[in-house]
Amino acid sequence: MFTSTTFLSILPETLILILGVILLIVEPFWKVKDPSSGGDEQRRNAGWLTAGGLFAVLVISVLVGRPGDPTSTFGSSIRFDWLGFFFKMLFIFGAGITALLLMDHEKVGRRGEAYMLLLASTIGMCLMASAADLITLYLAIETTSIPLYVLAGFMLTDEHSTEAGFKYLLFGAMTSAIMLYGFSLLYGFTGTTNLYALADAFKSGQLAAPVMFGLIVLIVVGLGFKVSVVPFHFWAPDVYEGAPTPVSGFLSTASKAAGFAVIARLFLVVFHDVAVDWAAVFAILSAVTMTVGNLLALPQKNLKRMLAYSSIAHAGYAMIGIVAVSKLGITSVVFYLLAYIVTNLAAFGIVMTVGRVTGSDEYDAYRGLSRRSPWLALVMLAAFLSLAGMPPFGGFIAKVLVFAAGIQANYIWLVVIGILNSIVGLYYYLNVLKYVYLFRMEKEDEEAHPIAVTRPYAIALVVLVLGIILLGTVFAPWFGFSNAAAMNLF
Amino acid sequence: MTPDLIAFFVLALIAIAAALGMLLGRNVVYSALFLVLNFGTVAVFYILLDAPFIALTQVSVYAGAIMVLFLFVIMLLGTETLPVSKALPWQRPLAFVLALILAGEAGYLLFFRKVTSGTIPQPVQTFGSPQAVGQALFNQYLLPFEVTSVLLLIAMVGAIVLTIKEKGGQGK
Amino acid sequence: MIPLSWYLILSAALFSIGLFGVLSRRNAVAILLGIELMLNAVNINLVSFWRYGDVSMMAGQVFAIIVFAVAASEVAVGLALVISVYRSRNTVIADEIDLMKW
Repeated sequence: MFTSTTFLSILPETLILILGVILLIVEPFWKVKDPSSGGDEQRRNAGWLTAGGLFAVLVISVLVGRPGDPTSTFGSSIRFDWLGFFFKMLFIFGAGITALLLMDHEKVGRRGEAYMLLLASTIGMCLMASAADLITLYLAIETTSIPLYVLAGFMLTDEHSTEAGFKYLLFGAMTSAIMLYGFSLLYGFTGTTNLYALADAFKSGQLAAPVMFGLIVLIVVGLGFKVSVVPFHFWAPDVYEGAPTPVSGFLSTASKAAGFAVIARLFLVVFHDVAVDWAAVFAILSAVTMTVGNLLALPQKNLKRMLAYSSIAHAGYAMIGIVAVSKLGITSVVFYLLAYIVTNLAAFGIVMTVGRVTGSDEYDAYRGLSRRSPWLALVMLAAFLSLAGMPPFGGFIAKVLVFAAGIQANYIWLVVIGILNSIVGLYYYLNVLKYVYLFRMEKEDEEAHPIAVTRPYAIALVVLVLGIILLGTVFAPWFGFSNAAAMNLF
Repeated sequence: MTPDLIAFFVLALIAIAAALGMLLGRNVVYSALFLVLNFGTVAVFYILLDAPFIALTQVSVYAGAIMVLFLFVIMLLGTETLPVSKALPWQRPLAFVLALILAGEAGYLLFFRKVTSGTIPQPVQTFGSPQAVGQALFNQYLLPFEVTSVLLLIAMVGAIVLTIKEKGGQGK
Repeated sequence: MIPLSWYLILSAALFSIGLFGVLSRRNAVAILLGIELMLNAVNINLVSFWRYGDVSMMAGQVFAIIVFAVAASEVAVGLALVISVYRSRNTVIADEIDLMKW
């Protein structure tokens, strides 16, 4: 039963778990009672250990743990293929950056438990990406969500944060219970929990179309919550605003990408033969999500809330690739998520860096940022233009690919809505940049208020900006990886 | 009417009545106790379904551990004295419609399934026994089983993190 | 023997009652109780599907056990969050948790 492939297939998860256990054991020894004797500096070690450890896991996995031909391991509980592997690397990268961003968060960054929760959530996401069995899948989704509920409510003395955590838990538990009901019916009607066996059962057409449709609706409720698709988006703005900023960043990037990884596998493997039924529904969801997200982002005055609505809109764009139900479609989704993770983490990194100094996330706090910290303003320019889909940044290539997939699949109307939405998006992203570059602080004394960028933030932002530019210019290798991942589904 | 059917009907009535009691109870303590009753009857269903291990787990984990935790928190926070607040005018009808749609959908799904005739396998000796469950858990479902341990560890860490009183007088 | 569909209808009824509770109750603890009822209904589905399907395939029972574990962790974290919200706000009525607009 156990071969080297078996262990390789869960290598990243195992390594992260080992890292987490080391962290739990070592962390108490780093706690220094008296902060005046450099205790803070020591406690940051937990953050360095997590971030460094995650990048080590990334490197080891890429060197040793690459998948060959798709195989199923652990009694077909998980699938070892490029799709899962690529997403795993994305999640680990996102978690590493999040650990760096957490490090100088006053209330969260000095507590080792936060990093432990982050690692556990990453394990859950990795399993989500490779799960090939309804049982593993459900468990993975919950292993991802439960630590995130805690992280969102981590700031005990902040009402917004505890409420964000609670709201997230209520919505999350309710939608996942509905999805679980769908899973139980899926199991009952086919007699198997394995995704690939389910696919065979559906090929023989043993289920009536209305039954299929009901099942898909139940499952979409749970997954729609994870990727915050309208009408399951209600939680997102409140939770993003209330949660600690790096956690919001993690929620809006890695957690969302994990949801898409599951949607891609579930719908293209299991429900592939009834694609005509659900593709139309997804097309409508996608159009509504883009439009609602962008329109609600327009009047916002708080950057975190604006990013929350914009992340809803981005889920809509990425969905176009799923709607296309083609190789190019899935390739574009994977590439889109890659670009989106890098870009949005950079955006949240800036919110964190600036918010730490100014203590506010309102647009007004960004007045004169270009004079207070020119480099930070440049990073912000790159990140926001990439979010808006401007060349030469990663977001541009991602949008072009997604729209191309939509056109190839004959969803012209959807692509037109997507392009119109991009223009709306451009407006509110530029609106923020207006505060950064054109507006000045009240007394016009920006030089007196520099913004200190600590070392972890500097490292994170430099890596992310390089990523944004690299994805937009030298995109061929990344496209190749995305394509290899997508091939595993067909 | 076989004894089986009578037992099913009586238990189903109790289970649904208890669930409704949970739903309508004005006091959270009553709601929690009604839910314990519901969990207890469901455990009997599991015995009717020849799944003794699940029945036992249901009683010890659900009715025992989880509901006791609920009651502890209710007592700790003293919510049993809190009155039911006014509902938003539109939320109850909306909730009712949603639940009705779901019930309708579920019923609809079920009618598309051929009703199984009496050809289900009869119990044999090791059928559904803890041994069979254990063998499945440690062979085919080893990975989910191991992941459960991570999940429980994290839930423990999370619960402690969220309820610990921070040093230095920050927490209330 | 009792037909499978009766179990499924019972489970659907309990699930709907639970969902209605989640959507209509104001009290945070009562909402969590509703979620427990929903998970419980799913378990009835799983075990009865196992019993009326291929009984040598234990997937249904294993799934039910996993759901137990998840329900326990969700409750532990959920109640901890209730306590922390209560400490910072002194309320457990979900409706009053409205600092932030929708």
